Amino acid sequence: MFKELDPLLHSQLRLAVMSILLSVEEADFVYLKEKTQATAGNLSVQIDKLSEAGYIEVEKSFVGKKPRTTCRITPTGRQAFENYVNALKGYIG
Amino acid sequence: MEERTLNEKESLALITQMISSSKKNMEIGQGNYMLIWGYFTTTLSIILFALVNLTHNFIWSWGWMLMFVMWPIMSYRQRQKPPRVVTYTDKVISQVWQVMGWMFIVTFLTIGIIEFSFARYIDFILMLPLSLIYCGIGVSITGIIIQERWMTYTPLIAFIIAIYMLTMLMIGEKATTLWYLYFGLSFVFMMIIPGHIVNHKAKKQCLKN
Repeated sequence: MFKELDPLLHSQLRLAVMSILLSVEEADFVYLKEKTQATAGNLSVQIDKLSEAGYIEVEKSFVGKKPRTTCRITPTGRQAFENYVNALKGYIG
Repeated sequence: MEERTLNEKESLALITQMISSSKKNMEIGQGNYMLIWGYFTTTLSIILFALVNLTHNFIWSWGWMLMFVMWPIMSYRQRQKPPRVVTYTDKVISQVWQVMGWMFIVTFLTIGIIEFSFARYIDFILMLPLSLIYCGIGVSITGIIIQERWMTYTPLIAFIIAIYMLTMLMIGEKATTLWYLYFGLSFVFMMIIPGHIVNHKAKKQCLKN
């Protein structure tokens, strides 16, 4: 019996964001945009979805006059990612 | 990248690709903090050496306190230009230097209190070898973490100079103003040379990517 894949993670952009955040302590919006090569609008929507699910923490601040959005993965997000990879292994292995 | 559902193999490939791309976090100018500290300390040591020798007034030795002023300036500068990404390595290195910073402050206060209590005068000459040891440990640990061999081993020169100073003090020899220059020279080996090497490597890697 295959485990169901978390629909929130089983999408290209959200999975990319989670994978990046899993391997760093924190990353800002510009870095995520550059690595995923997504549009700002699309990335922003997907970040909101991950944040609403409690998978990532989003911190908005200002550096001088420029707004800055910093994202980091939460323990819930880390657990969800682990479950997702385990489920994937079931499909592939 | 778009918002689309992937098949299982694509998912695994994407995870691998993203993790490996964020691991390569070498940025141009990564060695700049070491260079700023290195050049600042070396210049300060030369200026203080010249001032004390030209005026024959040891009041100039209090100029070493500028090292403590530099710390908040650097922290402010970092807050004004935060990094776009902070890796676990960056976090560990930052924590290592926080501990080193506190060791400086605790050592400074302890020496001041003990000397004033027992001898009614304050002479911070012991701070020179101890600073070399603390900084050397910090740089070496940073070198080990980022796997930079030069950074790991060049602090050995600073350790040797620090041990020379401590031994001289132990056998009852007086410290001389030449120690200021030895201190500056240690920073050339410990921070300036590795700083330039790290910057050169980061530039090379960024151009390759």
